[in-house]
Amino acid sequence: MTTLNITYNGLSTDVPLERETLLTDADVRRIAVELLAPAQTDSFQHYVVDRFRAPGGEERIYLRPKVPFGA
Amino acid sequence: MRIVFCGVGAIGSTAAVLCRNLEATLVFIDFDRVESKNLRAQAFVKPSVGKNKAEALKLQLLNLYGVKAEAFGVRMTRDNVAALGASADLLVDCFDNQESRLLLSAFARAAGKPLVHGALAADGTFGLVRWDERFVPDAEDTPGQATCEGGEHLPLIGQLGATLARTVQDFVKHGVRRDTLVGLVAVTPTVS
Repeated sequence: MTTLNITYNGLSTDVPLERETLLTDADVRRIAVELLAPAQTDSFQHYVVDRFRAPGGEERIYLRPKVPFGA
Repeated sequence: MRIVFCGVGAIGSTAAVLCRNLEATLVFIDFDRVESKNLRAQAFVKPSVGKNKAEALKLQLLNLYGVKAEAFGVRMTRDNVAALGASADLLVDCFDNQESRLLLSAFARAAGKPLVHGALAADGTFGLVRWDERFVPDAEDTPGQATCEGGEHLPLIGQLGATLARTVQDFVKHGVRRDTLVGLVAVTPTVS
């Protein structure tokens, strides 16, 4: 099982995903749009997809805002 | 132990103050000067307005806490990055532009220096702490995106600065290199 974490508008949530094939970045963005149904379907166009392996072996995918620089 | 903070704006100055308990010399690099608006989101005090940021932070840590600190009030460039970073035992990237981040990353990789990056999203809702071996800079959507100079994102800046300081301390004390995602609702370690 894969867990997708979406950070949007300052809030973050985990979403469990059952899947059999690899998810592309575009797949991740499409799933996020379907889950959150924001007004604009390109809301995640500039978001970054990070992939990690949790200590237990579980795959975690993070869809997050960009951090191009500090403040 | 010399910990070199590259850029001491909101993230760098906040993290540096939270490293004042370490048995280390804190080194600050920043060419910029303290402005009144910086007092809202950066760890500077009113008497420092007009002074170089690196020099001002050095004096504050020395005078307020007795911390050993050094300052280089210069812009990091291709010509001086090796000289500025040569004596570092740890580099901490808190720069506010991608060019400087890439310059520092290239130096650290070539010189074999440990480097950790701290960065904040432009809208102040999200931040990252990531070690250079796993660092891939995010592209800017538009050149010169808004930053957090107004201080409206200070709580998130505080969370990110504290997370970066904790990361520095864990590295100094235990050699651990932990990456972290920092949001408004959670601080999430991703790699130890």
